[in-house]
Amino acid sequence: METEVLVIGGGATGVGVLRDAAMRGFSSLLVERSDLAMGTTGRFHGLLHSGGRYVVKDPNAAKECIGENIVLRRIAADCIEDTGGLFVSLAGDDPDYPDRFVEGCHESGIPVEEISRSEALRREPRLNPKLESAFLVPDAAMDSWKTVWAGVRSASDHGGRALPYHKVESLVVDNGRVVGAVAQDVRSGEEVRIDAAFVLNAAGAWAAQVAEMAGAEGLAVRPGRGIMIAMNHRLVNTVINRCIMPSDGDILVPIRTVCVIGTTDEEVADPDDNEIPRDEVQQMLDAGEELVPGFREARPLRVWAGVRPLFQDARADITSTRDVTRAHAIVDHRERDGLGRFLTITGGKFTSFRLMAEDIVDAMCDQMEEIRPCRTAEEPLPDSEGGDYYWVGSRLQARDASLGEDQIICECEMVTRAPLEEALERRNTTNLDDIRRTLRLGMGPCQGGFCIYRATGILHESQKLDASTANGSLRSFLQERWKGVHPILYGDQFRQARFDEWVFQGLLDVEHLPL
Amino acid sequence: MIYDCAVVGSGLAGLCAALRLVEGGMRVSVVAKGTGSLHLGGATIDVMGYGPDPITSPRAALALLENDRPDHPYSRAGAEVVAEALTWFTGLSEDMVGDLRENMLLPTPVGAGKPTAVAPRSIASGDLRRGGSMVICGFRALKDLYPTYLAENLAKGAFGTEIDARAVTLDATPEGRVDANGLGFARAFESADFRTELVRQLGSRLNGVERVGFPAVLGLDRADEVRAELSAALEHEVFEIPTLPPSVPGIRLFRTLKRALGRLGCRITMGATVVGATTEAARVNDLHLDIVNRVARMSARHFVLATGGVATGGIGMDSYNRLSEPVVGLPVSFIPRSADHLFDPTYLASHPVGTAGVAVDPEMRAIDRSGEPLYDNLRVVGATVGGAEPWREKSGNGIAVATGFAAAKAILQSEGAWN
Repeated sequence: METEVLVIGGGATGVGVLRDAAMRGFSSLLVERSDLAMGTTGRFHGLLHSGGRYVVKDPNAAKECIGENIVLRRIAADCIEDTGGLFVSLAGDDPDYPDRFVEGCHESGIPVEEISRSEALRREPRLNPKLESAFLVPDAAMDSWKTVWAGVRSASDHGGRALPYHKVESLVVDNGRVVGAVAQDVRSGEEVRIDAAFVLNAAGAWAAQVAEMAGAEGLAVRPGRGIMIAMNHRLVNTVINRCIMPSDGDILVPIRTVCVIGTTDEEVADPDDNEIPRDEVQQMLDAGEELVPGFREARPLRVWAGVRPLFQDARADITSTRDVTRAHAIVDHRERDGLGRFLTITGGKFTSFRLMAEDIVDAMCDQMEEIRPCRTAEEPLPDSEGGDYYWVGSRLQARDASLGEDQIICECEMVTRAPLEEALERRNTTNLDDIRRTLRLGMGPCQGGFCIYRATGILHESQKLDASTANGSLRSFLQERWKGVHPILYGDQFRQARFDEWVFQGLLDVEHLPL
Repeated sequence: MIYDCAVVGSGLAGLCAALRLVEGGMRVSVVAKGTGSLHLGGATIDVMGYGPDPITSPRAALALLENDRPDHPYSRAGAEVVAEALTWFTGLSEDMVGDLRENMLLPTPVGAGKPTAVAPRSIASGDLRRGGSMVICGFRALKDLYPTYLAENLAKGAFGTEIDARAVTLDATPEGRVDANGLGFARAFESADFRTELVRQLGSRLNGVERVGFPAVLGLDRADEVRAELSAALEHEVFEIPTLPPSVPGIRLFRTLKRALGRLGCRITMGATVVGATTEAARVNDLHLDIVNRVARMSARHFVLATGGVATGGIGMDSYNRLSEPVVGLPVSFIPRSADHLFDPTYLASHPVGTAGVAVDPEMRAIDRSGEPLYDNLRVVGATVGGAEPWREKSGNGIAVATGFAAAKAILQSEGAWN
């Protein structure tokens, strides 16, 4: 295979880079070791920052956030729910912080409006009544899967292509330049050699591992693991931030039909470390209880851990076309390691993925001595052309329009049969977890208790699979799901899990199917 | 009116206990929060299917269990009482077939062969040990059974004999709906017109001596008649395969038991949540019922707690991972020592918390740590009883029948009314 630009990493940043490079007219190819948005992108709380969180601690990051917040609302409205955000100060919180917060918002250009205690409680009746002050900012919820899929569609409209399940095994270095990669198609086992004029490493928390394949040793990307818990209800309809110096468990994001509490921060050695420590779960529940009393009585659906890529490299000469901030960093390996045609982007956050892409493609153009301006801030993503945000009732509205015309396969998320068959065909996968992330199938309260059996039957039938392969798909979905539910099983969700066990083991006897 | 016995819960365990008690001449009241788990779980009485290897003879397995796992509910009741219970249950209806000598292997909705001791005749007719040819019929509009997938797994399975299975998908659907559940189909099957249409669609596609497997939706109150007529019209043996909930055969069994209770003057009060109990020393005096936000007290001389396990709310766990029995506040036993290891990271493995439940003595009375009964007149039955892993063992309904029966027997004996 041959391409001008090879992007490594299929998170929001990598897909952003693919789209950016493709829109500038480069032939572009992206490889990702698993499915798209499987790393940090698919494992965050879904907050589109206004920047309010960083105004005191990191004003540069704050300015970056509000700038991108405005851009993304313009180009990716269909991936955003305009929930707004509240910063709330509770009794006992640092009483000086709210003033510094408001001042910081003004300095960073973030619209902020103080609302009264009663107005805040009218807007969010479940909020802790002991709140002292409340400020409205333009935070929002953003669906990262939808964003990534729309980005890939946009990139492919411009000739870019993403190859999920292609794991880079080695980078090819010739004469001090990175000239391509050898990747393995992990589903077929086949090796693919990709020749590239330029290689962009957008592997985020895994960036050091990728850089090492080119001989660039010791890139200091420190994975910071944080856990998040999705609760069954939208306990709030506005993003809630604690108005304190950023800390653990101080964000509650309403997204789709759930709300997500996050997060913790634990430096880990391995970015694939997805452990969910029990004490961190308890810590999140306590934090949730402070924001929304009664939080522990609500029903948790799933817990996951994501790793932030924290960049702290002393050796790297950080280059960026705009003000250098600690938010994200581009590593030019020509200067750091004597490797040409190879750049790494890491650090950063979901909110700034488009800007990160712009910066690295700019840096690439500089090195190639090409002038090709970035257009990603102007051209909307597919389905966002109309500028309408999605809202929590969007699916119900769509489903209601065709009631009685199609079977509902997943009642919780209202996924019907036709889109399921279409996704199985388009994604050409036997992995039902890929379908879960594509359609939200099995993401509701029963966590696939009913729909995954149905999806397996439909997968088997429509993709003409061997029954053993379908059995494997069913069992691996159950195992994947279990990872995200067993650490938070209590209350009604423990009850649900036992009921699901009753269905899958007591009724179906899935554990004795031939594989 | 003071009842001889109040039974809490209208699942299989509660109904069995109540029925055996009224058969013994007692005045019994059944109170239940909802319709009970038979609507979900189904009507096959799996006694012991895996231990963890496949079990051929449940009777032999029960004998071994008494030695190996004295804490198991079957061992508590005693293998003899379990056998007595199953004989009693099978005798309730001509429709129930099977016994403890040998497990049948009955097709599940995915096409596994589940070891089952006793089952309704319509499901038992799908016994895979018989081998031979099968055609599995599904309906495009019924999303809870996939005939192609099911048939292919049956053909691959190891059931001792060869199964030759193929699939047919039919378009017949109640009132032209694209999405109908099992109950919708079951009601449709009671109409002669629907059956005629079905026979027209299917008849010419059958050959030889195939058994014809349908999702278990062949009628509700007139299921025997529906199946007999279909068999005759198709000129092939017809059997049923359970579906995802709602369980039509489970609802049939519920109705059968409810009618039997009704004939003996026992009523089921639905929509009554038991929220507490008044106890005095070693006796329960009354239960506190929440009936649409009005709290009423129900007195009785004996009580049977059949609220189910975790899945139905009979056992709860809070966010600090503390387990409880919410009605009477009975101690929950069989709890792993460390809250860090309640679950195994492998889904299909055995989970340490999986056996959690109330510990009982041979009379099904809840016991404390020293093994002494907590209340003389309170029995605990079904999935509320700990010490088993019902879904892994395939023992859920077997435990319900055995413990429900054992509790009734103990109560009747204590009243000198056992005969």
